[in-house]
Amino acid sequence: MRPIIGITTYVEPASWGVWQDLDTTLVPHAYTEAVTRAGGRAVLLPPDDADADVLRLLDGLVLSGGADLDPALYGAAAEPLTVTRPDRDSAEMLLTRAALAADLPVLGVCRGIQMLAVAAGGALHQHLPDVLGHEKHRPAPGVYGSHEARFTPGSRIAALMGDDREVHCYHHQGVADPGTLIVTGRAEDGTVEAVEDPAHRFVLGVQWHPELYSDQRLFGALVTAATA
Amino acid sequence: MRRPLIGLTAYAQHVQYSGNELMAGMLPMTYVRAVHATGGRAVLITPDDPGTDVLESLDGIMFSGGGDIDPAYWGAEPHPATDIDPARDTAELMLMKAALEMDLPVLGVCRGQQVMAVAGGGSLHQHLPDVIGHDRHRAAPGTDPLAADAAAYGRHDVVTKTGSRAHALLGGHLTVNSFHHQAVDDPGTFTPTGWCPDDQVIEIIEDPRRTFALGVQWHPERTGDLRVFAALAEAAARRAGLARPALAA
Repeated sequence: MRPIIGITTYVEPASWGVWQDLDTTLVPHAYTEAVTRAGGRAVLLPPDDADADVLRLLDGLVLSGGADLDPALYGAAAEPLTVTRPDRDSAEMLLTRAALAADLPVLGVCRGIQMLAVAAGGALHQHLPDVLGHEKHRPAPGVYGSHEARFTPGSRIAALMGDDREVHCYHHQGVADPGTLIVTGRAEDGTVEAVEDPAHRFVLGVQWHPELYSDQRLFGALVTAATA
Repeated sequence: MRRPLIGLTAYAQHVQYSGNELMAGMLPMTYVRAVHATGGRAVLITPDDPGTDVLESLDGIMFSGGGDIDPAYWGAEPHPATDIDPARDTAELMLMKAALEMDLPVLGVCRGQQVMAVAGGGSLHQHLPDVIGHDRHRAAPGTDPLAADAAAYGRHDVVTKTGSRAHALLGGHLTVNSFHHQAVDDPGTFTPTGWCPDDQVIEIIEDPRRTFALGVQWHPERTGDLRVFAALAEAAARRAGLARPALAA
């Protein structure tokens, strides 16, 4: 039996075929394909904050990308460009905390690294261009930025990425304070690109999108950890 | 008290949302809300992966609505109006057969009921207007056929067979919504237990030899009548050794 990897989902009005703007739970198929190729069985987890029971089913968890976290979760007031999804926040925070408590392997992607940082007591920059003075992490709507990241020698992410350190990202917020996590990767401009928690079996957050471009390194590591 | 875990078969579909256009694993939230409202915990089972091992971890499964099934599965040529979804066909027929084999509680909705019939060796009418001479089983997308001011299309009665599970669950008669142009012709190993009285189109199939295997042609998740979802949650809870699931407030 393959390890079962849960992937958190968006809830958005979506259109397809004859249907227009139907409230839909969805996640880009690239996540599912990445899990499948890595040898896991993907199941999608619609947000639900009644309890974290669903963890019983899972051998590993992917916190997917998406909208901004509610700044109230890290004690800040919302800035003008912050766009939140309260239903995802409450459900995913519950799930993340329970997964960490159960030492379930967790991979956080984009919004997912931000979720990990906030769950660990950290905080976010609400609009990176205000901090950095450039928009290279989200060059234009629908356009991914690409750059090289620098990784801490000896870290899990350094070992996984090897010499190919190019990453593809699309975000306007970033980790300001990683809380109890350790920052193990940064962009040249100092933006946090990777966090880890050596106290757990496998807790890795990346600000970029490893599910794109068929990059199997991180999903492979998650599935391996979920199999152990 | 933990909730029964209910798998919902999902689409892998090209969708547009919030300015994005991409291939997504997805399902209308109405299904998810129906499962949560009847005391279950919904997880989506994507169609791209044809293995069935995930069933071992579920307490029940619902097969959702969607496109048409490839008529090659019952040895027929495609009708011009037949619009198939091959990835879902492969995955869902395999999941359905495995779920029935292990007697996992199964609910089929619309296409899901048709998957049941085909998995049971049956066949479908590929385009109902050719068979019954009208298109009143297909409401316009986005409409609510059960609304007081709705048109005649997409709403009709269903009568159930005395002594069936459907009858015990739904009574002898109900009014349903309707969004389909295909329907069960030969139910295979299943027993038809509900019909539209106007044209005898099969609306409910079940397998009395199994713990819970029920298919309905309408979309209960789009209504306030979630009795078939509650019955699935209850069967799933029983299988998992849980107490009767609590209906959400």
